[in-house]
Amino acid sequence: MFKWEKLGQLFNPATQNGSSWMHEYAQAPSVVVFNDFVRVFFSSRPAPENGQYVSRLGYIDLKRDDLFEIINICKDPILPLGELGTFDEFGTYPASVIKTGTEIRAYYAGWTRCESVPFNAAIGLAISNDNGETFHKPGQGPVIPYTLDEPFVMGSPKIRRFNDTWYLWYSAGKKWIANDGKPQPVYKIRMAASGDGIHWTKIGRDLINDVLEENECQASADVFFYEGKYHMFFSYRYNLGYRETGRGYNIGYAVSDDLLTWKRNDQRAGITVSESGWDSESVSYPFVFELDNTIYMLHQGNEIGRYGFGLAKLKSYNQ
Amino acid sequence: MKWKKLGKIFDPTEHKLPNNCFEFAQSPQALVFDNFVRIYFSTREKDKTGKYLSHISFVDFDKDFQTILNVSVNTVIPLGELGCFDEHGIFPINVVRDKDKILAYTTGWNRKVSVSADASIGLAISNDNGTTFRRSGPGPVLTATLNEPFLVCDGFVAIFENVYHMWYIFGTEWTTATKEEAPDRVYKISHAVSSDGINWQKEEGKRIIPDKLDAQECQALPTVIRHGDTYHMYFCYRHATGFRKNKERGYRVGYAYSRDLINWTRDDENAGIACSKEGWDSDMMCYPCIFKCDDKVYLLYNGNEFGRWGFGIAVLEH
Repeated sequence: MFKWEKLGQLFNPATQNGSSWMHEYAQAPSVVVFNDFVRVFFSSRPAPENGQYVSRLGYIDLKRDDLFEIINICKDPILPLGELGTFDEFGTYPASVIKTGTEIRAYYAGWTRCESVPFNAAIGLAISNDNGETFHKPGQGPVIPYTLDEPFVMGSPKIRRFNDTWYLWYSAGKKWIANDGKPQPVYKIRMAASGDGIHWTKIGRDLINDVLEENECQASADVFFYEGKYHMFFSYRYNLGYRETGRGYNIGYAVSDDLLTWKRNDQRAGITVSESGWDSESVSYPFVFELDNTIYMLHQGNEIGRYGFGLAKLKSYNQ
Repeated sequence: MKWKKLGKIFDPTEHKLPNNCFEFAQSPQALVFDNFVRIYFSTREKDKTGKYLSHISFVDFDKDFQTILNVSVNTVIPLGELGCFDEHGIFPINVVRDKDKILAYTTGWNRKVSVSADASIGLAISNDNGTTFRRSGPGPVLTATLNEPFLVCDGFVAIFENVYHMWYIFGTEWTTATKEEAPDRVYKISHAVSSDGINWQKEEGKRIIPDKLDAQECQALPTVIRHGDTYHMYFCYRHATGFRKNKERGYRVGYAYSRDLINWTRDDENAGIACSKEGWDSDMMCYPCIFKCDDKVYLLYNGNEFGRWGFGIAVLEH
């Protein structure tokens, strides 16, 4: 059982009076720790055009010994959108970053727009050689392809490395629900492994059983190793009506000894919506990291991160 | 190579086709039986928005290609479900005998917003002699990757020495001749291999046929046959823009040969076939399919207007 102490909302782009591309939303926080600061990458959005959003990747820097002090906000998006007709032409969200040698790699979901359904997504790779201030793409296409049983909507990548193997957790679309002309995808958490982070082998099955309904949507599986076990915090919600109270994203939990077999037990997550405030309707997109002997979780709040993200601290854990 | 044209052999407007299809018989692909030859093609219906949906049908010919024995009356393979890669059409379909099974590699199309469509290659299997096919999954077997970012299509599969070879094309760019025109695509021929016909290894952006027209040459529909110790590839190629109305920029048949399946020599001058002076294949020739039947080698292909009025056949003389 985990027990988290919420430290509160940490960053809300709307109150920063900053760049127009960082108008609202700070989604899917992901961290690289530096000597004096913690760089938090996230996806933000300019005001919508014709009701449609474009997500862009950016970062803020937090003072290492006081994470609630923001010491820097990036000026411009750090990852360009894709060219005409490519998978990431209309957005890069979410991204998961990892430091490897002198590089920082970002695995991100790219968004394109379709006719019969509103969008499709695929997972791309971008690389930074300047500590995450800018990213370039090794190719114009995605790094994990669609396959026979993963036909569309591959999203919410989360990259981790354990014992020299790269692991990527992601959501894979299962089907689109027609929903009276407003189609909604159903997606489940899956995994791929790689020796180099470029060439991936999918394990080809859903990792996490459903608890809400058959069409439960699962995303953003964040895995970390602690006290001899692998722990996964993820987001899950109902397929339809997820803007209504009680149907939106909450944080789920599963545990594993081998990264392949997972035992779900959401009660052990130790974090959920607050009674009031910025994360009272929904919590999602957890990112767990260790810093100076403390374990933290970044997470987004109401309306899937529209008002930014907050921070929690691990108070206790027992098996 | 020298081909003798036998003329147009199928006109879709002369037959009742399933799925409300009324014109187009594109990319003919042959499957040879003991007593007849089944030719699959992509035909079209208009949906309620006025846009086309491509469906697969077939026609059975006698082995002289003089007599039509049968035209499919039912759906050969349904289109994909909502949001799938093959929701808005299958064009072309490549059909391959593999021991007791018949495999179909389908190019599935789905409509997009900033560009007209994307495409990937799927797999379907028939257990009823090619009358119907069932897809192996809702997703594709060959699709966009790091250096092949979109429009992975036109798969043609041949099995040589227990290795599955697929020739296919991938998109390299979307281009616009003028601001007023919708973007047009550029694509190139590539090659993948597989040990099971399901899991494929691409060469990631490798182009195996050099351009002849210019860097934006569009190369499509490779078809390969082994004859003696040489592999022969036919394909079609055109300019990237202005190809619909201007016959000088439209599809032509190209040719290349290889002895090792790795290095290909382009040799269009020796294709041995070209547009006619007049008639159904005088403006363009496209979507070739080469096959053997009773020791003869045939070439199926489309003519003017991308096969709107049907397909024809030629036989190899020497």
